[in-house]
Amino acid sequence: MKWLVFLGISAAVLLAAVGLGPTPIVDLLHSPIIWNLRVPRALLGFVVGGSLGLAGASLQSLVRNPLADPFLLGLSGGASLGAVIAIAFHLPGPWALPLAAFAGALVAMGLVFRLALAGGGELDPRVLLLGGVAVGAFAGAITTAIVSLADATELRNAYLWLWGGLSAASWQAVLVLCLYAPLPVVVLLASSGSLDLLTLGEEPARYLGADVGRVKLRVYLAASLLTAAAVAAAGVIGFVGLIVPHLGRALWGVRHRALLPASFLAGGALLVAADTLARVVVAPRELPVGIVTALIGVPFFVLLLRRWTAY
Amino acid sequence: MDRVLILEARGVTFRYPGASRDALRGVSCSVESGELVAVIGPNGSGKTSLLRVALGVQPPAAGSASILERPASSWQRRDLARLVGVVTQREDNLFPQRVAETVRLGRFPHQGVWGGERAADREAVARAMAQCDVLRLADRWLWSLSGGEYQRVRIARALAQEPRLLVLDEPTAGLDLRYEMELFELVHRLVDRQGLGALMVTHDVNLAARFAHRVLVLANGRAAAQGPPREVLTRELLATVYEWPVVISAFEGAPQVIPLRAERSSTPG
Amino acid sequence: MPVRATRIVSLAPSLTELVFALGGGNRLVGRTTWCKYPPEATRVPVVGDGLSPNVEAIAARRPDLVLLYRSPLTETAARQLAGLSIPALILRHDRLADVGRTARLLGPLVGDSLAGDSIGRIFDSIAASVPPPPRARVAFVAWDDPPIILGGGSYLTEVARLAGARNLFDDLSAASATVSLETIAVRNPDWIVMVDDSGGDSVRILRAGYPALARRPEWQIVPAVRERRFLALPGTLFGRPTPATPRAVAVLRRALEAAR
Repeated sequence: MKWLVFLGISAAVLLAAVGLGPTPIVDLLHSPIIWNLRVPRALLGFVVGGSLGLAGASLQSLVRNPLADPFLLGLSGGASLGAVIAIAFHLPGPWALPLAAFAGALVAMGLVFRLALAGGGELDPRVLLLGGVAVGAFAGAITTAIVSLADATELRNAYLWLWGGLSAASWQAVLVLCLYAPLPVVVLLASSGSLDLLTLGEEPARYLGADVGRVKLRVYLAASLLTAAAVAAAGVIGFVGLIVPHLGRALWGVRHRALLPASFLAGGALLVAADTLARVVVAPRELPVGIVTALIGVPFFVLLLRRWTAY
Repeated sequence: MDRVLILEARGVTFRYPGASRDALRGVSCSVESGELVAVIGPNGSGKTSLLRVALGVQPPAAGSASILERPASSWQRRDLARLVGVVTQREDNLFPQRVAETVRLGRFPHQGVWGGERAADREAVARAMAQCDVLRLADRWLWSLSGGEYQRVRIARALAQEPRLLVLDEPTAGLDLRYEMELFELVHRLVDRQGLGALMVTHDVNLAARFAHRVLVLANGRAAAQGPPREVLTRELLATVYEWPVVISAFEGAPQVIPLRAERSSTPG
Repeated sequence: MPVRATRIVSLAPSLTELVFALGGGNRLVGRTTWCKYPPEATRVPVVGDGLSPNVEAIAARRPDLVLLYRSPLTETAARQLAGLSIPALILRHDRLADVGRTARLLGPLVGDSLAGDSIGRIFDSIAASVPPPPRARVAFVAWDDPPIILGGGSYLTEVARLAGARNLFDDLSAASATVSLETIAVRNPDWIVMVDDSGGDSVRILRAGYPALARRPEWQIVPAVRERRFLALPGTLFGRPTPATPRAVAVLRRALEAAR
């Protein structure tokens, strides 16, 4: 029942994203704009937001920290650095920026991974978090250095990209993401049972039958790959990965079999709704969507904090 | 009923990486179905380490650990979880959960990857909760339970695994008299009536003496003694192991340890 | 403020160009890395990039006048220079009207008030002139992802208007703004106009070497992109308001008429 309501809300959000925009839809009925711009943008937003929500939920359980966000693992730092390098060196082609961001995110993931494996054997989630913060900060420092040495327009444009946006949405982008995302998504969904056990702690999870080492590895890699793709497609959009899992838990409970798909749907709906607002509120201008998700996300977060302290 | 040797550790020696001394030296321990074995000893004597090695979580430097006569480390964790239910010393609940939800986690080793809940799962969960008398707590939040209730819920989760061996690490730490007794009675009942094997690490020597079929006394990583409580729990042994003067008194046929006060260095005859 | 400055540091390309046009080029002792026009300017020593002025480097040139472009960072620099007893002038130099005013102001300081007045008069007459009827509809695109256009606050909007073209985004008061790609498609400019880094005097209709956005799939929804209607404006002539702006207007008008 709850699922039906939620699917209904998601469908409504998608329809609103297609129907609302700087130009009234009645003027666009015979224009390719709806099909070539608005629909791919809504779909891309849904997949990106869903990926961030799903990755966030998985990572919060993996690192056993309800404040974890997919970007705490250094991926956003790496992606930003990659993108800024692409901008600063004027790398050619429309795919240069996303590919550079993706590559940057992967490099950051590799570094954090190496750090977390240093103890020998399994991934240490605490090191994942701390290592992620360190790598992210380091990448951020280099990014800022490059940006400060670039000329004024590039500087501003680099920051606009970093704030995230779906304006580059096209059917090609949707296709690429939809070919890529299913594998990490399925891996994460399949880890639902093990993630349930992990919330008890690694030792109890092991005794309950979870292959803890493998699960941590799978979840970390899959969540990172999803996040890297999301950042490559749409820049750094914060708060979605942090807030959505908590919303999911409040509505669906803690069982990952329900929480993970719910986080995907909720993340998708949230981002599409935020993007619609970003396009409509100051039309014909556009707000960077990362700002809208933060503006929506922070009050939500405050509400959640109050609920937390009630426990 | 036929006795089956479920768990056996033979002469295990083990040291944690980077530690200066062995946690275990040449310790042997076994548990059969239908018996309750208690492991006692001072803090740091290696009790939890023994559990880890015996269950294949840590490999021993010397000696062997086997479950159902196969090396413990060769078991897949999922298969082992269908056989052995463990209640660890500590667990951390990351997010608030209800009792029924946490007991259901015990069904993980029986479920497939896309594990749905089947009738067998629901029955196992209900049975486990009934055995531990926590059915009436099914909808309560874990954080609202008393210490004793929470421990019973954790035992229910272990029972939901439908194991043949229950392993408990200091399950009565911090529990008051009533909950301690309830817990020991519960485990004893499960061993006696369901034929489970049970390996329980406990600090409570006296209850171990009354409920366990066999007792293993660890000191400084070595097995100081092993056998039925009446034979093993002597004044000399315990005074040496705990480094404190004691007297032994019998109650219901079980030796009960009474520590002496500091001023008196000699015991009455 | 000196009656006549003999050692001038200029921290904006447009001001550097103006100083040269006023005949004060030989008095320039410091410029930014971006001040490359006129060609003689490259012989003047560089004191930084001008965005966040390096007061030490400026002071090392021992100037008696520093010209700054108005921005929050330069106001701080001006205060620091005042602390070192170095006179600084912060000038607003965004729009055509500013050029005339600045020329009249700088003329006497740089040593040639006649030149300053004459430039001022040229710009006054431009401002007073009746612009031709707008025949071309253009959009100035500064960036592709996110789409950034130049709005009514940009001086290029004025240049376009004087040249007979209407910037379709002149309803936005900002000099530049991020807009929905959709809006660009709906407003349907005849030409996508981009300012590049090149030198030279002519506005080119691109037949090859299209900008990166021409290859972006989502931009194909804009008819001008699909049909490859790009105008490239050389940065040296169109990048900022300068004494050469009247020539820029003329060049653009000719190009638009030829293109129709």
